[in-house]
Amino acid sequence: MVTPTEVRGGPEQVGAELDDATLVARARDGDVPAYEQLVLRYQGPMFRLAMRMLASRGDAEDVVQDVFLVVWRRLGQLQEDAAFVGWLYRTTTNRCLNVIRARRPTSDVDLVEHESLAPRSRPERTAEVDAQMTALNSALAQLTAEQRACWLLREVHGRSYEEIAEALGATSTAVRGRIARARAQLAEMMAPWR
Amino acid sequence: MNQTTEGYQLPCGRDVETVWDRLDEVDAGRADEHELDCRHCGAARDSLRMLRTVTGLLIVDDDAPSPGLTSRIMSAVRAEARRGDLVALPSAEPGAARVSEQAIAAVLRFAADSVPGVRSRRCRVRSIDIDTAWPKLPAGGAVIEVSLSIAVSYRTVAGGALDVVRERVATAATGQIGVRLGRLDLTVEDLYQT
Repeated sequence: MVTPTEVRGGPEQVGAELDDATLVARARDGDVPAYEQLVLRYQGPMFRLAMRMLASRGDAEDVVQDVFLVVWRRLGQLQEDAAFVGWLYRTTTNRCLNVIRARRPTSDVDLVEHESLAPRSRPERTAEVDAQMTALNSALAQLTAEQRACWLLREVHGRSYEEIAEALGATSTAVRGRIARARAQLAEMMAPWR
Repeated sequence: MNQTTEGYQLPCGRDVETVWDRLDEVDAGRADEHELDCRHCGAARDSLRMLRTVTGLLIVDDDAPSPGLTSRIMSAVRAEARRGDLVALPSAEPGAARVSEQAIAAVLRFAADSVPGVRSRRCRVRSIDIDTAWPKLPAGGAVIEVSLSIAVSYRTVAGGALDVVRERVATAATGQIGVRLGRLDLTVEDLYQT
């Protein structure tokens, strides 16, 4: 018998990026390399979401690892291949909220003292922008975990209100309200207007 | 005032969400009389603009997890890989040879992928009890029934491509695995671009 890699070489395999739905369909069949492509494609955004939720690289990586294993186990339950990415965001958000709930009740105050949430400082970035980024990170740490999740999912990751509502078990009206409050709080903490 | 933004009313009576919604209008020179004069609205706009700028940096941030994360995820996934049932292969010598349905599916998917403009998705393999299912076939050798779903490119797929898929899948089954393809149900479930 020839191994799959030896018959590889169809035009779609060489350099071409397969679409998500194709990879998800293959992964549902138990195709491990297809799932690995999905991991490579989405571990970054899930890590950054978890990192900003938890303010700890170690905790964020643990969450991402958990999420991709749980999702692999439950792939058979996914009704629609196209729903995969939304499902990843939902699972990651919930894991992060669980981690935060399990922390000592006082630890949210320590968030600012935690590792810096700031993307690593870049030479091309001005001191002013660095300072603004630091201000945003301190401000984010002062939101409630649910508010932080809503704001990050909408404003940074571009998810829909409906999807965020489903992830948090809230109505989309409630989600819109949380995001509006988060936005006002963040803006005011960065540059007070009153 | 919108109830969801309660508590974020500016001293002038406008709420922050309204200022946010009108930010582009004002920046485009279409401020109303109040907005032209009100220092509270002006200060809130400055804060919101700063928040928007820094949010833009978070959106393009590409902070990545540590390089080992993918392999940690994938070894956990492989440990739980679904192999499917085993299909017995013909063997001239004493001792059984079996191949998992999942491995057969991988070979058949690669065979279908070799047809230009075709991406295989789900591939289900069932091994058939040859005596009851296909009584007219000569004895000896395993027979499989396969259902394969594919996506086709509407730009590059050629007429007759499905016949080529059938031919290559059948050839791969006998030539590369050593089982006969008793039946192939082919479903075109999606189109893709490029």
